[in-house]
Amino acid sequence: MDETVAEYIRRTVLKIPRDEIKTMLQKWGFLSETQLQTINFHQIKENISQDVVQLCEENSANIKQAAVLDIIYNHIYPNKRMWSVYQMNKRGEETEIFDLTDFKKKFKRRLRSALKNVTINFREYEDNAIWIRIAWGTPYTKPNQYKASYVVYHSQTPYIFISASMLRSNLPLLCQALVVASNYHDIREMELRSHSLNSLKDIVFKRYSQNFQTYCPRPLQERNVAPESADLRIIHENKSEKERIQRVNQEVFGDGPQPKLEFAQYKLETMFKSDPKIDVLDKKEPFRCLVKFSSPHLLESLKSLAPAGLADAPLSPLLTCIPQKARNYFKIREKKGLFPGSFVSP
Amino acid sequence: GVFAHLEMLESRAYQAAVKQEEREQQEEKLAKLQARVQELRLQRDELRAKVDLQQKRQLGKGGAVSDPAQPSARAVLEWKIKSVKATLQLFYLTGISGKLTKRGVCFCISTAYEGTYLDSYYLDLLAKPEVQIHRHSIPIFIPLEQIAKKYLQTDIRRFLSVLLDHLNAYVGRRYQADQLQEHFSDQIEGTLQRNSLCNLLVFNYAVSSKSKTFPFSVRLLYGDLCCSLPTEVVVSCAPDAPTALAEAAAAHSELFRLMALHKAFRSFSSAEESVD
Repeated sequence: MDETVAEYIRRTVLKIPRDEIKTMLQKWGFLSETQLQTINFHQIKENISQDVVQLCEENSANIKQAAVLDIIYNHIYPNKRMWSVYQMNKRGEETEIFDLTDFKKKFKRRLRSALKNVTINFREYEDNAIWIRIAWGTPYTKPNQYKASYVVYHSQTPYIFISASMLRSNLPLLCQALVVASNYHDIREMELRSHSLNSLKDIVFKRYSQNFQTYCPRPLQERNVAPESADLRIIHENKSEKERIQRVNQEVFGDGPQPKLEFAQYKLETMFKSDPKIDVLDKKEPFRCLVKFSSPHLLESLKSLAPAGLADAPLSPLLTCIPQKARNYFKIREKKGLFPGSFVSP
Repeated sequence: GVFAHLEMLESRAYQAAVKQEEREQQEEKLAKLQARVQELRLQRDELRAKVDLQQKRQLGKGGAVSDPAQPSARAVLEWKIKSVKATLQLFYLTGISGKLTKRGVCFCISTAYEGTYLDSYYLDLLAKPEVQIHRHSIPIFIPLEQIAKKYLQTDIRRFLSVLLDHLNAYVGRRYQADQLQEHFSDQIEGTLQRNSLCNLLVFNYAVSSKSKTFPFSVRLLYGDLCCSLPTEVVVSCAPDAPTALAEAAAAHSELFRLMALHKAFRSFSSAEESVD
C-alpha cells in the first residue's frame, strides 16, 4: 500500500471523534467485521488510527477506497465545511429522465478530458442526494487529497451545493462538468452561503416552514403558552401589543424551525443622507458601507427580535426576505422605484 | 316668661313635625324597596323554572315537548363546528381546497394514491396585476414553472388540474418504490437506483423457483410525468437462463406495465409459491 494512502487514512481516522470511529468504519465496509473486532476502540486515537492503517495495509487499500471514508466523514459532519449554492438553467422542456450511471459517466469523462490527475468518487444516499468528491492535481502532480472539493446534487433539480476548498481556477471546469452531466445549459453562483448544508437545501427546495393561509385542517402546533398567572392582581398592560407581535411574527416566519444561516451581508451603495448643513462628503458619491449580521443562528435570532422587544414588528423586508429570495448577500442601490437588492452580480 | 315658653313649645312641635315627615319618607322608601325585592324574586323564580324545563327537555326521553324550537346556544355551536369540520374534511378529500387571501388565493393540494393519503402541498397565488405565484411548497423537481408558463395566465383550472396530476403521479411513484423497498427488500439485490422524481427505477431482483434463485434485472421508465405506471419496461435475465425463465421475464414485464410495482411483486411472489 502506498505511503501516501496510509498517511491519508491515518489522518482521516484522527479527524473522527473516538466514539464514532467504529460505526464509520462499519459504514465504510472496507474492513471486515472480524478485522474490526481486533481493534481496541478504547485506546487513544493515535493508536486506533495506527491499527486501522495496519489492517488497511493487509487489504491493500488504494486511494479511491480511502476517499470513500472521507466522503462518509463529510456526509456525517457536513457543517464543518462552508457550502455555496449554484443554480443551473436549461433551455428545453423535455421530461427529465435522470439516469445515474449516465450522469457519472458524463461527469468523469468531461473532467478527465481536461485534467488527467483527478480522484473522483461518487456516493448516493437515500434522499436522492449524490455526493461527489474530487481531489485535484495538475498535469504534473498527483491529486492533493487534503484539499478535496465536495459536490452535493439532487437529481432533477437545478441546484448544486459545492464546498470548494481548492484553487478557484478549477471551479469553471467543475461547473462545466456538472452542467454537461446533468443535461443543463449553464450555471451561476447564487448569493447564498452557509455551513449548514441541510439549511441551504431547505431554503432552495422550499422545505422550510412557510405560513400558508388555508382551510386545511393541519394539526395545530402546540405553542408554549406560559401559564396565566393565577394571581389576578397581575395585569399585563401591553397584552394586545404582545399578541400583535406574535401574530405578525408568525405570519412572516411561520411556525417551524428556521433554516440555519450564520450571516447576512448587505453592501450599501446608497447616497449618504444627512443634514445639508453638516456636509460630510463634498462629492455626491454613494457612501460605500458593508453591514454584516452574524449569529450562530441568524434567522432564529431575527425571529426573536420583536418578541424580545429589541425591534419593532414587522421587521424590515430586507431581513425577512432571506429565505424566500434564497440569498444572504445583498447589494442595495438607490431606490429607482423598484425594491432594490435583487441586483445579482452575474 | 310665657312667651319664651310658648316659643319653646312651638319649636318642639316644629321639630316633631320634621321628624315625623322624615319617618314617613323612610317608610315610603322602605315600602318601595320591599316591593322591588318582591318583583325581582318573582323574576328569578320564573327564570329558574325556565332553566329547569330546558334541562329536563335535554335529558328527557320523548315526552311532551311542547316547544320544539329554541335549541340551546351550546347545541347550536356544536352543530356549527361539526358542520365546518365536515366541510373541511370534504375539501381535503377532494384533493384541492382554496382560501381567499388579501392579495389572491392560497391553494392546498392534498395528494393520494389508491386510498392512501400522502403529502399536502401549498400554492399561494397573487391576483394582481396578473395571476402569479407568490410562494409555494411544491418540490423543486416538479416542473412548476413550465406548467405555469403554459396555463397559469390563460386557464387556471387547467393549470391546477395539470399540477395536481403531476403531484399525484409523483407521490404515487414514490409510494410504490417505498413499498417495494419496505416489503420486498429480501428479493431485491443491491440497491434500488431511483431519482428525485422516481421516474426511473433500475434494480436487480431474484425470484426463487424449485429451490433455485434466478436473478432478474429491470429498468422501469416512467416517461409520462402525470402517470404512475411505467411507459417502458425492460426485464432481463442471464443469457444462459432456461427459456422458462425468459417467459417469466416477459410475464413480469407485462405485470409491471399494468399494475402498481408492489402489487406486481406480490402477485408473482404468490404465483411462484403456487407453481411449486
